[in-house]
Amino acid sequence: MSRIASILKRLCETEHADSRRPNILGTLLAVQSELGHVPQEAVPEIAAVLGVTDAEVAGVLSFYPDLRIQAPGRHVVRVCLGESCVANHCKRTLKELEKTLAVHLGETTRDGRFTLEKVYCVGNCAVSPTVMIDENVHGRVVPASVSTLLKDYR
Amino acid sequence: MTRQLYLSQDTSARAVGAERLAKTWAKEPGIELVRTSSRGAFYLEPLVEVDGPNGRLGWPNATVRDLPRILQGEGGVPVEDLAFLAKQTRVTFANAGVTRPHSLEDYRSHGGFKGLEAALRSTPQGVIQEVTASELRGRGGAAFPVWRKWQAAQETQADRKYVVANADEGDAGTYCDRMIMEGEPFRLIEGMLIAAHAIGATKGYIYCRYEYPAAARSLRAAIDILTRSGYLGTPTYPSPLEGEGKGGGAGAFELEVFVGAGSYVCGEETALLQSLEGKRGMVQAKPPYPAVSGLYGKPTLISNVLTFATIPTILARGGPWHASLGTEHSKGTMPLQIGGRVKRPGLVEVPFGLTLEEAIEEYGGGMSVGARFKAVQVGGPLGSLFTRANLKTKICYDAFARAGAILGHGGIVVFDQETDMVELTRHYMAFTADESCGKCTPCRVGSVRAREILDGIAAGQGQPGDLELLADLGETMKQASLCALGGRAPYPVLTAIEHFRKEFQ
Repeated sequence: MSRIASILKRLCETEHADSRRPNILGTLLAVQSELGHVPQEAVPEIAAVLGVTDAEVAGVLSFYPDLRIQAPGRHVVRVCLGESCVANHCKRTLKELEKTLAVHLGETTRDGRFTLEKVYCVGNCAVSPTVMIDENVHGRVVPASVSTLLKDYR
Repeated sequence: MTRQLYLSQDTSARAVGAERLAKTWAKEPGIELVRTSSRGAFYLEPLVEVDGPNGRLGWPNATVRDLPRILQGEGGVPVEDLAFLAKQTRVTFANAGVTRPHSLEDYRSHGGFKGLEAALRSTPQGVIQEVTASELRGRGGAAFPVWRKWQAAQETQADRKYVVANADEGDAGTYCDRMIMEGEPFRLIEGMLIAAHAIGATKGYIYCRYEYPAAARSLRAAIDILTRSGYLGTPTYPSPLEGEGKGGGAGAFELEVFVGAGSYVCGEETALLQSLEGKRGMVQAKPPYPAVSGLYGKPTLISNVLTFATIPTILARGGPWHASLGTEHSKGTMPLQIGGRVKRPGLVEVPFGLTLEEAIEEYGGGMSVGARFKAVQVGGPLGSLFTRANLKTKICYDAFARAGAILGHGGIVVFDQETDMVELTRHYMAFTADESCGKCTPCRVGSVRAREILDGIAAGQGQPGDLELLADLGETMKQASLCALGGRAPYPVLTAIEHFRKEFQ
């Protein structure tokens, strides 16, 4: 059985009684939490198991910014572009990150260590600018603190 | 003797070093770290507190080297006397920074479940009467009278009803829902239990944003605790409140956390319910309203986290008490979240009615060192910009509506003189273009065209008539979009052009 098939099988067994219809988003998030992304090739298999069309699955997959079709780097660095961070000049922090990592927003470093992304607000506004690395939120990240911050993520 | 040190475990406290302190001091002999919620005075975080003879003493912006001073009681400030906190009217955030988020004992000893107990002693209709008397309006942004949703959901007959908490706090500059979910999750759940009792719901969901992993963990832990102690789950658990209630309510309500996948528009209630069903988060035309036909076509009471969290105190102290706070049409308190270039960013819970200037000066402490005021935005990325000339505007729904602005979820972001207004408006339209669900053409296409025009202006390639075109486009988006994303997106752009026209020429 393929890895996706076994994830789907497990999901179906624990499927909640409430979901009379298959929950496409929940399924895609579960696949992503195990594989780190949802490979595009998996769409027909997921659709078949859920009993929906490929288009419905692809539609959900492309709608949500946090569902990824490509494997990210080992660490995902997300620069917050929410208003409080913008007011606190987060674009300078973003520039420093792009310079240090030698990538642009949306790209992964050549060694596969970091993927640099943007995020619109993580609710850390009172200690902005904010950079979220994986699930860790870092506050008051000014350009000068960027290199020290990245050292903790190998 | 073991000394207790209080330290917040809120995301923003951890983001600025609370975790480092906790790790370093974990092995320190003679001290016990008590991880609490945060007071919301984030400019002081990490804030370490100890019990003093007259309340807590605090050491703001503490570092690992401060431990000896803290243990000797040297230099601690009486936390509750700080002007930032002392002048607030803390109701929903009364226990912020005081209690442990997952301690039922702490919650109960600080007034927890008093609202639920009162609700279970009353009838569903009696509960709705209290909510009506409170004049509470939805705190998520739309400010809809809460009791009307409750009434409609209660009156609609169905074999199954839902209560859904909208925890997709996407308005940039706001974090009060996150603080509730991380800091006092029991309060949110108590509010949902009261709602379930009032409308006869047996199942609930909390739709939490993907960007709030700590909040989702906190909610799941809280649901576990309340399920084990009989407040939640199937009625097979002996309810600790049994005998007090008149059937239904506690113990018969099952609750689940559903995590979204990073879409701003899913904060709109019909899009959220679509997303909860696992579909694309597309906005739906109303009616039917969710209270009549919502999740899976069943009556669904959907409200913002803060709205639910306000309910327990209303039930405990009575609707008229709530209606005694605030202004004529804006009752109760509002947790303002002050951020941007001010000295004291943080959560400020006050009755409606103070001016923007008071919020920024008296609570926010004025501008940060070296920063000069340029503009303030209220209500997240769809909120209007105010200049110094409008700072006397009162913070309440009426005054904001008269100014063509929105209070939204209470976010206040102050910009300084270094902010480039063209770049800022380009940023707003890029946001709308990224987040539009695509249902309405004016929003889907209009936001992209507006961004392109602003790209041109930013690159110094503006054309004559650009600003008129933006105004025209904005008017179309306002008139012809189903939801607030398209309908409100032009406001920050057009108010920026109105106040800072020179920068666009």
